[in-house]
Amino acid sequence: MPDRIVYLDHAASSWPKPQEIVAAVAESFDVYGGNPGRGAYAMALATARVIFNARRDLAKLLGVSDSRNLAFVPGCTAGCNLMLKGLLKPGDRVVVSSMEHNAIARPLNFLAEAQVEVEVVRADPTGLVDPDVMEAAVRSKPTKAVVCQHASNVTGTIQPIADLTDIAHANGALLLVDGAQAAGHLPVDLETLGVDAWSASGHKGLLGPQGVGLLYLAPHVDAEELVEGGTGGGASELPHQPKTRPDRYEAGTPNTPGIAGLGAAARLLLERGEAQRAEEALLIRRLHEGLLDVPGLRVLGPELGEPRIPVLSAVHERLPADEIAFTLDRRFGIAVRAGLHCAPWAHQTLGTLESGAVRFGVGYGLTDADIDLVVAAMQETCR
Amino acid sequence: MTQKLQMFTLFGFVSTHDALAAEALLKDMGVDVVPVPAPKSLGQLCGIALRVLPEESERASDLLEAAGIEVSAVGEVMDR
Repeated sequence: MPDRIVYLDHAASSWPKPQEIVAAVAESFDVYGGNPGRGAYAMALATARVIFNARRDLAKLLGVSDSRNLAFVPGCTAGCNLMLKGLLKPGDRVVVSSMEHNAIARPLNFLAEAQVEVEVVRADPTGLVDPDVMEAAVRSKPTKAVVCQHASNVTGTIQPIADLTDIAHANGALLLVDGAQAAGHLPVDLETLGVDAWSASGHKGLLGPQGVGLLYLAPHVDAEELVEGGTGGGASELPHQPKTRPDRYEAGTPNTPGIAGLGAAARLLLERGEAQRAEEALLIRRLHEGLLDVPGLRVLGPELGEPRIPVLSAVHERLPADEIAFTLDRRFGIAVRAGLHCAPWAHQTLGTLESGAVRFGVGYGLTDADIDLVVAAMQETCR
Repeated sequence: MTQKLQMFTLFGFVSTHDALAAEALLKDMGVDVVPVPAPKSLGQLCGIALRVLPEESERASDLLEAAGIEVSAVGEVMDR
């Protein structure tokens, strides 16, 4: 195996992490070991302030004016489960795009068995949701919620979230968004977008540690909590979970190291996020251009030059995706992901459910030279 | 040397988040504020209360109200 790993699986989890973030996680073990909100002694207070500051800075990054509307959750999947299962009840109808990840598809399949009507609206062959098609589906019957990803983890397609918000609200529905792939890779202003709920991973484009994510619930969105338990402090006499945010959605001891790292990531992205996104756009374009010249390879998703997040998948006319990924790993030290990417609905939409695809996820730390190496390796592998 | 006991005002909040938001605001505005364990007598609140000097309590209360931070209980405590 080559000594150096060229890591192109940022869509699954970003790596390496910036040193500021690693240092913040280490500091949380070394200095802030107390249980936040479970005491008023100096160390517990210091821990609680780390979490308070992280929430404040993430709210600033994501365009949320009151940080209490951002809950820390174990990950984007947990956030998606909370917004779906906390809001949808038997008899409700939901309209959802066909590009969704299993973090949305599986909870909805579960809810469908509990008498929630789920209508899947097919995206176009590039993975893009057509707002007119979505609107027709929403208007056809009373609808509780429209559910859509912010961007695709397979094609990199960026969905028209602002348009979907307007459509949902004009028809008395909520817009619930899986923001896993958008967070960090796109500028996001949640209150301007007007979404009702938005869930994100901390460890992908936001560059934080694994095991922590975010759920934004607009102030008017009364999602039922899925977990009850201790929230710290002296309100322990209350027999039920307090309705106060963020405590309502954060029962149990929080993941302080993860949140500390995510807070550091927010501060880094507030300072350098725009430059990072510009760099990623150049890198993914360079990769896209290079892969278009690989014989027999078909790049999925938006055409070259069209907007996309730094995610790109491709299929070869002859070589299976897993074989390409294995060769890239063993011969060239290039980490990519083959298969269905936890998104069978998306691959069904793209016509790649049987073949799967090879996914290249670009992000922090990559250079032009890395991309050129990947393109050369693909040329060699697909000869 | 032992300090004399004196009266302080306590502000209670419904969550740790609100208590820390209040602490940050009051510190920024130059109010001498100390987080303390919330006494049970203050009610069903989060475990952190903010202690301020009585002569600053009215200004602190006004600042918190203007910032939209809800004070859930106000009490007094003898402390050093």
